[in-house]
Amino acid sequence: MKRLLLMLAAAGALWSAACSGNGIVNPPPPVGKYSNANLNGQYAFVTNGESFTGGLSATPLARTGSFTADGLGNIAAGVEDVNAAGTTSLALQITGGHYTVNADGRGTLTLQLGQNSINFGIVLTSTSDGLMIDETSTSTQSSTGSGNFVKQNSGSFAIASITGPYVFDFSGLDGGQGGTQGPESIVGEFTASGGPITTGVEDVNDNGAFTTAAAVSGNFAADGVNPSTLTGFGRGIAQLNGTQYVFYIVDSSRIRILSTSGGAMLSGDAVAQGNVAPASLSSTNFAFIVAGSSINGGITRVGRFTTNGATVSSVLVDTNNAGKFIQTNTVNTGASISFDAANPGRGTITFTDPNFSNSPFRFVFYLSSPAQGVIQETTVTVSGTNSNAVDVADGTIAAQTASPFSSSNISGTYALNWSGLSLQNGGGFSVQDEEDLLSEVAISGLSLKGAGDIFQFQNGVPVFDLVTSGSITIGSSDGTSSDGKRNTMNVKLVKSNSTTVNFVVYFVNPQLAFFANNQNSNRIVAGVLQAQQ
Amino acid sequence: MIHTNRIRLGIVALGIVPGFISPAHAQQTTQPDVQQLRAYNVSREVFLLGTVVKFDSASDTPPMGAHVLLQTASGQVDVHLGNAKVLQASHLELNPGDSVRIVGEPLALGDSTYFAARIVQKGAQTVAVRNTKGFLTTPASLMSPAQKEALRGVR
Repeated sequence: MKRLLLMLAAAGALWSAACSGNGIVNPPPPVGKYSNANLNGQYAFVTNGESFTGGLSATPLARTGSFTADGLGNIAAGVEDVNAAGTTSLALQITGGHYTVNADGRGTLTLQLGQNSINFGIVLTSTSDGLMIDETSTSTQSSTGSGNFVKQNSGSFAIASITGPYVFDFSGLDGGQGGTQGPESIVGEFTASGGPITTGVEDVNDNGAFTTAAAVSGNFAADGVNPSTLTGFGRGIAQLNGTQYVFYIVDSSRIRILSTSGGAMLSGDAVAQGNVAPASLSSTNFAFIVAGSSINGGITRVGRFTTNGATVSSVLVDTNNAGKFIQTNTVNTGASISFDAANPGRGTITFTDPNFSNSPFRFVFYLSSPAQGVIQETTVTVSGTNSNAVDVADGTIAAQTASPFSSSNISGTYALNWSGLSLQNGGGFSVQDEEDLLSEVAISGLSLKGAGDIFQFQNGVPVFDLVTSGSITIGSSDGTSSDGKRNTMNVKLVKSNSTTVNFVVYFVNPQLAFFANNQNSNRIVAGVLQAQQ
Repeated sequence: MIHTNRIRLGIVALGIVPGFISPAHAQQTTQPDVQQLRAYNVSREVFLLGTVVKFDSASDTPPMGAHVLLQTASGQVDVHLGNAKVLQASHLELNPGDSVRIVGEPLALGDSTYFAARIVQKGAQTVAVRNTKGFLTTPASLMSPAQKEALRGVR
């Protein structure tokens, strides 16, 4: 049925219905330092979300590509690769397009692909990068999803640039080898030598089946079908453990990757790895965020812990498991961390929620530096000889710095992005569906004021220029206090009606925070608050 | 002080489980540890036979998603069906009075348990709303090869 029909019903959608008697509220004119000139050059982009092309239900969608902005509001060229639930469309030529960047860094981006176009809302986080959500809603396609774009260094558009150790995190859907597609997460590290991968190790959670510390082999090469995309856009083809991927070189320190074979839909980044000796982790506070699928539905976990490289303490975790909110305040019994001597940067962490002592939280992580890495949950429930995963979830781990966090350092302008599921009513049939929000907010005195867009996909069309407001409450700063208090944030969105979403917030530093909703079981969303530079 | 809202599940919550399982499985007397109910295990599956009392395609009662309230021989049971779009894509409607057979098992979520459906059967229609590992299926899981091929039009 009917995504496109639902577009007609958009007036009856969550955001724009229900509002007789209330006028539409628009944000004030944007202020700030940005302009079209600040989007200038080649940018590698990724989004993950859903698409609807008519006749079929919404389909998981991942895209990665490269566009060239001219600093004047025009898209000169580009290429993208699309993976819709395992069905790929490769090396689609971006023939043109246009964009706007407002003074506050918010803007629009339209990429023309022949007769078709795809549309995005963007917020610059610097002149080199930004956040984006897919806002395509045309007669042929609706699509949504959250992602980002990063400026590319064309001087690195060569296979030889992919040299040295990298940490990676790919997530999405498997190829359905078990009959139906299931969630999959792969985290790991490899060392490349200008083409071939010389060594590597990975941890896989494929639909609840774990593969631990498996070897990685493969190579990076130019695309034999479209060889000019390497020198033009940094694009090539990788083979990793028998699966084919398309990749885009950002520079020698970052590669963006999308699977293109086997019916899987996996995407993520590989990031260059520095010195990650365990000794460098003395007295480090880490914040983390993972998201994925549990057996109950969507799941998010945000939290923090302290480690000296040998012990773990001050663990806090906030879980939203299919709308059920669970706070874990560990007593630190049984909490431990260990490092894999054979694979630098790889380690595991375990801690126990006293209410679930038989199935302690378990994670494997790969650090790309002492301050950053990727993390995958490996928690299982043991029943007899069976060991079953409780979820497939992965994400980011980052060292907390520059605490305490307060109104004096959490200040300035920020991009705010969340993504996940919410209950939506698009034309009389309520379901859970994808929700993506992208705003820019000015934070002063821990109050938020700004504007943004939201796409609740069941509605078929995004809602633009919501007034975004709210506040942050510092309850625990970096979370090392023993009282179990949390930092919280509420975000109020107003257009023709309004809603407020409440979050728990873990600050990485004054410029970056992870958050997830912690009230009202009609949402499972998580995101980032990132300062604009 | 913020207290955890995870509370050990009471035996009462578990006690309702055998009451609504099919007679074919009623001889199963060993109760699983509630902590083991955090993961799906096909070896624990039972089936429910009942009549639809109420269908909600988008309930905010955890777990979020579609729920059906079934009248069984042993009482009413709330069943989580996952993503309503899977049922919709399969053209399976659940209306009050419909007789259905549901294969699934009880799972723990925080301080309560619920019945998780894996397979929903109504008449000759059968829809898998979870895979054998317990993860929710999506409409894309149900696509035919021709439908998947049509996705090459996605931009």
